[in-house]
Amino acid sequence: MAYIQFEKINKRFGANHVLRDISLTIEKGQLVTLLGPSGCGKSTLLRTLAGLEAPDSGRVILDGEDITGKDPRRRNVGMIFQQYSLFPNMTVRENIAFGLKMQKKLPAEEINERIARVIDMVELHGKEKSLPAQLSGGQQQRVALARSIITEPKVLLFDEPLSAIDAKLRKALQLRIKEIQRSLGITAIFVTHDQDEAMLMSDVIHLFSTGKIEQSGRPIDMYTAPRTRFAAGFIGHYNILSPAQFEAVTGENRGCDVAIRPETVEVQPQPFPERQDAYRSAAVVEDFTPHGNILRYTLSVGSVNLQADVLFRSVLLFEPGQTVYLSVEKKNCLSIA
Amino acid sequence: MKKTRLNSAVIVVICIYLILPLVLTFFYSIFTEWQHVLPGGVTFRYYAALLTDSSFLLPFLRTFIISVAPVALCLVFILLAMYVVVVHLPWLDRVMQLVCTIPYAIQGIILAISVLSLYSGLPGLLSNRVVMLVFTYCIVVLPYLYQGIKNSLNTVNAPRLLEAAQLLGAGSFTAFFRIIVPNIVSGISVSVMLSISLLFGDFVIINIVAGSYYQTAQVFLYRQLFESGQKSSAVVVILFAVTLLLTNGALFLYNRRAKKRNAREEV
Amino acid sequence: MVVLRSFSAPGGGVTLDNFADIFTKRLYRQAVVNSVLVSIFSALIGIVIAFLGAKAAHGAKTPLRNFFMSVLNMSSNFAGIPLAFSFIILMGNVGVLVILGRQLGIGFLTDFNLYSLNGLLLTYVYFQVPLATLLLIPAFDGLRPEWRESVSLLGGGSLTYWFRVAVPNLLPSLLGTLSILFANAIAAYATAYALLQNNFNLLPIRISEQFVGEVTQHREFGSALAVVLMVLMVLANVVSNLILKGRRGGGRS
Repeated sequence: MAYIQFEKINKRFGANHVLRDISLTIEKGQLVTLLGPSGCGKSTLLRTLAGLEAPDSGRVILDGEDITGKDPRRRNVGMIFQQYSLFPNMTVRENIAFGLKMQKKLPAEEINERIARVIDMVELHGKEKSLPAQLSGGQQQRVALARSIITEPKVLLFDEPLSAIDAKLRKALQLRIKEIQRSLGITAIFVTHDQDEAMLMSDVIHLFSTGKIEQSGRPIDMYTAPRTRFAAGFIGHYNILSPAQFEAVTGENRGCDVAIRPETVEVQPQPFPERQDAYRSAAVVEDFTPHGNILRYTLSVGSVNLQADVLFRSVLLFEPGQTVYLSVEKKNCLSIA
Repeated sequence: MKKTRLNSAVIVVICIYLILPLVLTFFYSIFTEWQHVLPGGVTFRYYAALLTDSSFLLPFLRTFIISVAPVALCLVFILLAMYVVVVHLPWLDRVMQLVCTIPYAIQGIILAISVLSLYSGLPGLLSNRVVMLVFTYCIVVLPYLYQGIKNSLNTVNAPRLLEAAQLLGAGSFTAFFRIIVPNIVSGISVSVMLSISLLFGDFVIINIVAGSYYQTAQVFLYRQLFESGQKSSAVVVILFAVTLLLTNGALFLYNRRAKKRNAREEV
Repeated sequence: MVVLRSFSAPGGGVTLDNFADIFTKRLYRQAVVNSVLVSIFSALIGIVIAFLGAKAAHGAKTPLRNFFMSVLNMSSNFAGIPLAFSFIILMGNVGVLVILGRQLGIGFLTDFNLYSLNGLLLTYVYFQVPLATLLLIPAFDGLRPEWRESVSLLGGGSLTYWFRVAVPNLLPSLLGTLSILFANAIAAYATAYALLQNNFNLLPIRISEQFVGEVTQHREFGSALAVVLMVLMVLANVVSNLILKGRRGGGRS
């Protein structure tokens, strides 16, 4: 039996049906991401596990126990919020100790020892006596993490914890969180709208759109094999072509939308030789934009625009207005719903 | 350049208009006589006399009591109500806001006569003028205290802190009074000071509701307005000084808080 | 409760007599008129001064502006009886400025009668100015320098800017402040009471008389007066809202 189970969870806020019959299982020790645009219900699902929202119907099962109606403070669940939510009147140390103090049964020695251990883990030496207001966003988030893991919760919930932190620091924190989660062997659920973050951190991704799960899988599968238009649009920078557009480019009609990743489109100045397993076409360069080590060309085939990524090797290969030739392997043209 | 000078001139003229009565009142209180263009000798005997005169000190003390007690009472009520609203019945928030802002609309004289006509005929505790006064004052400061507490709750993001505390195993009562309240104390103290200074300067309500039953410094001032000009001006100066102390104390607290918040941004 | 009582006769029963009395008896009609006049004029004068003050503060350098703000804050605490008293020793019968005027031969100061409508106006304006200025300064800070720059780039002068851009944008704040000032003045009691006792005919003074008067108390009648006062305050608010709404509607068409 799975460690965490959501069974047919429904939740409405007024007329807004935020969770539609969601069922989901999570294995022990995994880091699972709920990915999706804002307002898709991913945070609400997380909050039903914490007990901060009660589902209208359905059951939440944690470690074999039905906790659907249980008081949040008895669930033994840790949560890290986007706005840190440290207690501003308490020092770092007092914040971290708060959860242990509430349990009230531990001897002072053990408390001190555990605090020392988690402070070590999140690398906050010398900050024990600081107030949250004196710390940077990244430091505050580390305190929040320490405060949550010290009580050894059954599951650690992250509600967009890094979205208020600047890009460079965010990368470092992503890796740190992943490392700590691994070393403690703790189960974690991570909510984010950032697909790169989800790719980097997760064992499993569940992609949400408007109250339901669009697709679930390992990051690599989500990236290479999106099954729906929404998934293809949200993960990677897929070209998504309607049946008519696809026909205009390839001369073939599949009767469904087709998704093509820009890096699978090959471009060269002379025509490609004919191949059984690839589509070919002529195109005109419309525009290009540099993305780090990649040049992204916008090509037009008739009235259809298509993006193609080319590795940026010091010279500009094609000029806008130039006629070029493209080729895509058939297996890289994914039929999607 | 010409423009800045014009601006400065306007500001200076307005300042003179506003400061003149204050300064002259002060001078008036420390000069022995002022019947000619230039006043006579300087003296502080009016202050000395006042500060040893129990007929002034007593009302002064009463003013303090009647300014502080209703604020304290009102504060306790609002905090308890807020606890219930924030933790258990969030939908009541709007009702509470409405109720708490009504007194803005019913000010001074209307409030005073409403209370008087409603309760003065009744037997028992409620028609006691001092009790009536305390509760009327509670109503007067209600909107200011409410707004102060409400704003502070918003700045500390109270619901989120409560959730965090709950997940760490704290009960909601513990969480509210151990975490939320300590964090909004500085915010509350600003509105408390302002409320006290508001009541401190009140004459309308006290005169109508309990003028002859409970003599405060304001009533004292009114009574002896026509006896000695110098003595009255000394009273005015003392009262005004206290008011300034209260409001500046509030501003000082407010600024210190703002500074603390800015310090975080720099890190 | 007050509203209910205003419709009841002294012996019981429902009546409109109380209201009829207000508008037929000269004493009370005059109290209403006086109150409205003092409030309107003190509000208007106050807002003109405050407008100039806030405009000046908007353009002033920071130290001067801070000084101005602290003077405003300080004087906004000076109200009620202390204020009235201060004006008595300044401009009253043996007031300092009056004596000064007499000895230096300045007729205006000598002849000024504090215990009149004008005197009342002077004291009322004193407490209106700091309040109004403090309310208007944030509104002026909402005027963006880019607007002025755009006007001059488009060929408009300073006057165009003030009348076509700044004032229309400030209008909501101006009207809002004006109605606050009006309500503030019409309900003011302590200042007038200390200055003139019961010798001047003002609505709040007449109201309190009906409740704490040494002679006979007419609570029903007093309640009716209080209702009139409330209606006037609400009216000020409604009028300023109506003007705003009308303007906005007109702008859209």
